[in-house]
Amino acid sequence: MSIMTIFSNMVKVVSRYWGLLLEGTANTLLLSALTVAVGIVIGAILALMRLSKFHIGKFKPLNAIATIYTEVVRDTPLLVQLYFFYFLIPMMFPGVDLGKVFSVALALCLNSGAYVAEIIRAGISAVDKGQVEAARSLGLNYTQTLQKVVFPQAIKNILPALCNEFVTIVKESSLASTFFVGDLMTQYKTINGTMYLAIEPLIIVSLIYFVLGFVLSKGVAAIERRMKND
Amino acid sequence: MTNNIIEVKDLHKSFGQLQVLKGVTEHIEKGEVVSVIGPSGGGKSTFLRCLNLLEVPTSGQIFFEGVDITAKGIDINQHRQKMGMVFQHFNVFPHMTVGQNITMAPTLLGKKSQAEADEMAKELLNTVGLYEKINEFPSRLSGGQKQRLAIVRALAMEPDVMLFDEPTSALDPEMVGEVLAVIKNLVKGGMTTVIVTHEMGFAREVSDRVFFMDGGILAEKGSPEELFGNPQNPRTKEFLGKVLY
Repeated sequence: MSIMTIFSNMVKVVSRYWGLLLEGTANTLLLSALTVAVGIVIGAILALMRLSKFHIGKFKPLNAIATIYTEVVRDTPLLVQLYFFYFLIPMMFPGVDLGKVFSVALALCLNSGAYVAEIIRAGISAVDKGQVEAARSLGLNYTQTLQKVVFPQAIKNILPALCNEFVTIVKESSLASTFFVGDLMTQYKTINGTMYLAIEPLIIVSLIYFVLGFVLSKGVAAIERRMKND
Repeated sequence: MTNNIIEVKDLHKSFGQLQVLKGVTEHIEKGEVVSVIGPSGGGKSTFLRCLNLLEVPTSGQIFFEGVDITAKGIDINQHRQKMGMVFQHFNVFPHMTVGQNITMAPTLLGKKSQAEADEMAKELLNTVGLYEKINEFPSRLSGGQKQRLAIVRALAMEPDVMLFDEPTSALDPEMVGEVLAVIKNLVKGGMTTVIVTHEMGFAREVSDRVFFMDGGILAEKGSPEELFGNPQNPRTKEFLGKVLY
């Protein structure tokens, strides 16, 4: 098979399926944005649980739950988690058709939450301990110290890492295509199945992923530079 | 004894197996200036940090203005407002302007309105020669300027006592003088001051009393003349022999 054939096949794929590809790209971006948005909420809650000083004797239940959650999510494959939710959600809510996209999106969100929690935790613990001591020595309580001194500084560490998390999710969400949820990789499977072409649509899909990843990570780098200058 | 602003009774502090303070009993009077000197690891900084409970004592009591601040249920934040602290590494807030560094605590804690705090920030910055930096961020300040800012930040809470933890140890040598000058002014104004320092000349000049801490105890204490001029404890002699040359 010559390069010319591949190229002309690629042109064929694009001219016939550009609508699908566009839709897939939009879905991937949408799914990733949703994942990170919900992931931030879950991650913030988990991070606060890990920071919390609530304890029963020496045992910190909130801290323990958050730690176990994070470890389980981070130490099992995302694909396995997707399978779990794909089968688990319909079992948990029998008779209610939430749709497979819901199950898959939920799995992605819960997965991302664990990673975001780590990003937030790392961002907070990177704030110099002396900052906390200075605030406490002025008479601020723990909560005031977090609000006025720790969080505003932590956000500068957290934001660029969150943007990176988005770039990661854009790529990782391709695993969701296992369940044909309409993301970019799903469209590849559709095109592959109807045109009996393997490589050509794959090249096109790879190029789209690459452009997304490249542009987004350059954007992140720009944000990071600006934050450092402040 | 009513004149004691701080009283320390049998203070012990351990970090795990390591005993850092092995029973310190001492008092500091209102208006008194006390320097704490001694070798590294002798417990100087830990002693100072226990006074406002940045380190929680393992055992013993600390009375501040007659109140046992080590007692259960005490609101330490209330008492810390009256104990200013200055750190070796300045710990100014990098995300706030110089002015905000000063006004944040007094306004947040309801001591001052924003307008009053702003006015006070200007006055305080004036006294330490940083008035024109009021809208700058600390990243634009030198080490000496940062430490002067840290001092007035603490003063903005109008504390009854100031604690200095090696305030010049992290400074370039040419900036030590400007920071010591600010502290000296403060002391002259009658501020009760406890200062952990390696600046022996300064300690000798400004202190009413000097504590020599070694091995977790107050090994020797006395007036600067006594302690520097005629030390009794062999460890004090050895230490001073090494640092005064």
